[in-house]
Amino acid sequence: MRLLKTLKLATRDYGHEWQMSGCFVLALAAVLGPMLVLFGLKFGIVGGMLDQLIENPANREIRPIGSGRFDQGWFDAMRRRSDVAFLVPRTRSIAATIELSSAGAGRIVRAELIPSGHGDPLLPTDGPIPQGMQGIVLSPLAAEKLGVSEGDALRGSVTRQFGGRRQRVLLPLQVAGIAPPAAFGRDGAFADVALVEALEDYRDGRAVPAMGWTGDTRDEDRSYPGFRLYATSIYDVGNLSSDLIGQGIDIRTKAGDIQLVMRMDRNLSAIYWAIAIIGLVGFSLSLGASLWANVDRKRKELSVLRLVGFRTGDIVWFPVTQAFYTALFGWLLAAGIFFAAAYGINQMLAEQLATDQEVCVLLPQHFAMALVLTVGAAVLAAALAGWRSARIEPSDGLREI
Amino acid sequence: MQNVFQSRSKAKPTVYHLRDVVRDRASEGVTFRLRVPSLQITQGEKIALIGESGCGKSTLLDMLAFISQPTEAAAYRFRPELEDDAVDVARLWKKRDRNRLGDLRKRHIGYVMQTGGLLPYLSVRENMSLSRSVLGLGHDDTVGVLARELGIARHLDKRPDTLSVGERQRVAIGRALSHGPSIVIADEPTASVDPFAAEKIMSLFIGLAEERNITVVVASHAWRHIKRLDLRRLAHHTQRSKDGRTTETVVNG
Repeated sequence: MRLLKTLKLATRDYGHEWQMSGCFVLALAAVLGPMLVLFGLKFGIVGGMLDQLIENPANREIRPIGSGRFDQGWFDAMRRRSDVAFLVPRTRSIAATIELSSAGAGRIVRAELIPSGHGDPLLPTDGPIPQGMQGIVLSPLAAEKLGVSEGDALRGSVTRQFGGRRQRVLLPLQVAGIAPPAAFGRDGAFADVALVEALEDYRDGRAVPAMGWTGDTRDEDRSYPGFRLYATSIYDVGNLSSDLIGQGIDIRTKAGDIQLVMRMDRNLSAIYWAIAIIGLVGFSLSLGASLWANVDRKRKELSVLRLVGFRTGDIVWFPVTQAFYTALFGWLLAAGIFFAAAYGINQMLAEQLATDQEVCVLLPQHFAMALVLTVGAAVLAAALAGWRSARIEPSDGLREI
Repeated sequence: MQNVFQSRSKAKPTVYHLRDVVRDRASEGVTFRLRVPSLQITQGEKIALIGESGCGKSTLLDMLAFISQPTEAAAYRFRPELEDDAVDVARLWKKRDRNRLGDLRKRHIGYVMQTGGLLPYLSVRENMSLSRSVLGLGHDDTVGVLARELGIARHLDKRPDTLSVGERQRVAIGRALSHGPSIVIADEPTASVDPFAAEKIMSLFIGLAEERNITVVVASHAWRHIKRLDLRRLAHHTQRSKDGRTTETVVNG
């Protein structure tokens, strides 16, 4: 009851002195607003670059250099690692080509076959994937040259020299889907590993019973000269690369780019935190000093409340309530300043950015953290000042009225 | 053992009993000491403390209202009503139990300050009701009746800053009386108004206290109030050192 009374009185006083209250709110927002903009810029610029790096699967790819020998056991072991998101074997590149033709196009397109499968980072997560011996996903360039779209039929053609004779097999294919332009820039077809392996076997003069192709029988376990490997995140690339190098595998990654951005993130973070800490110290001091001064100014009125019987705890709630209002309104105004500044900055740089990219941006949790810090600092300063004020003899304050 | 709380009259208990109570103040090299060898105030008494500025009137009133701590006290007891037990105020101060002292003040004491001490963000009605609401007393016509008696009924919904100094003092008197205290302490309540208004306000104040059988302790520098309103004057004697750096006032009564 008394607490409620104190809160009501504090609110009435805060509203009555709206000009003074407004000044406190402005002073707080003037410090907090630019800090939010600064953090928004840091988060937007570095965050955007990191997002680009993370979202672009090419940055998670680890490519072997040259040719190796990787058996099924190696693939199975690697797939079990949590830092490996996608791994399929590659056949020899010379064997991984196919001539494609369609009913609507008068030309034959020689396409590279890219072994693929479920979870291929180059293909859309919810899009079609190549499956079995018929379904392939074409690169946009190949689809354009062949004049086909999803669901159309294609004819594949592969030749080999076998037994001193040139042989050719034709196989019916179907366009399961068209890959995004960024997935593959040349004439290519994403195909099931089984199909790629079948074509390599055929070219090597081996029989492919599944397709009814005759040839020699394989007398040794299959091994692959390469692989398509994607790490789970860019942060896994370094560790995974080290392990592969440790296994004697020469690889190529975009680790350099990743390191550059991560270094930039570290440097910008250090600069930001240096500024933020200086700002936070200044902010806390100015907030604390102004709230302290305000409580001192209110000592006379707090003494009157003490005189009519308000207890120490009730008196402390008075400045704490007012400090809470200042922190809340100051934070709201600072958020408003941030949104206005961020809109201006993002608009100014809109032409140089990707469609949905923003240079100055904050997440809801950043605002929540700023609110908690602001309210916490304000309430603490006011509580200390209020406690000090409540401990002073009421007669000292009353003499000033 | 003599019961000090009934020393003057069987029917009228002693509200305040002070023995060898001292309050020291020091500021900018000047020291002031208020000494009360013996003071007893009985229920319903109207006491006046007359003296020039700086003689320690406010210091004594603050001690009587439990808003200023005595530096020393051989005995300081408070018994607002006949049915109440005496409260050892000196002990409460020693224990720094400000909340208990605040509760006593809230329940039994009304205080009229020299400059009103009204809260600027509350209306006259809310200022007058403040003590009542802190005590959890319901909304009845007490404030309205008091306002009519004090001649400020038309100002009830106004803010204090729209009133004259005299009107504000009446509001302050209303606030001190609204919760039905047994003691009202007034620190020069008419110091800021002209002599004519001062006489009127003081008469009104003492009249209202008389009607309600309230014990009054009022500080003033105007002699004529005591004579006309038949107040008991507390004897006091002030001594200053030759260099003017030490002042001591002794109050007895």
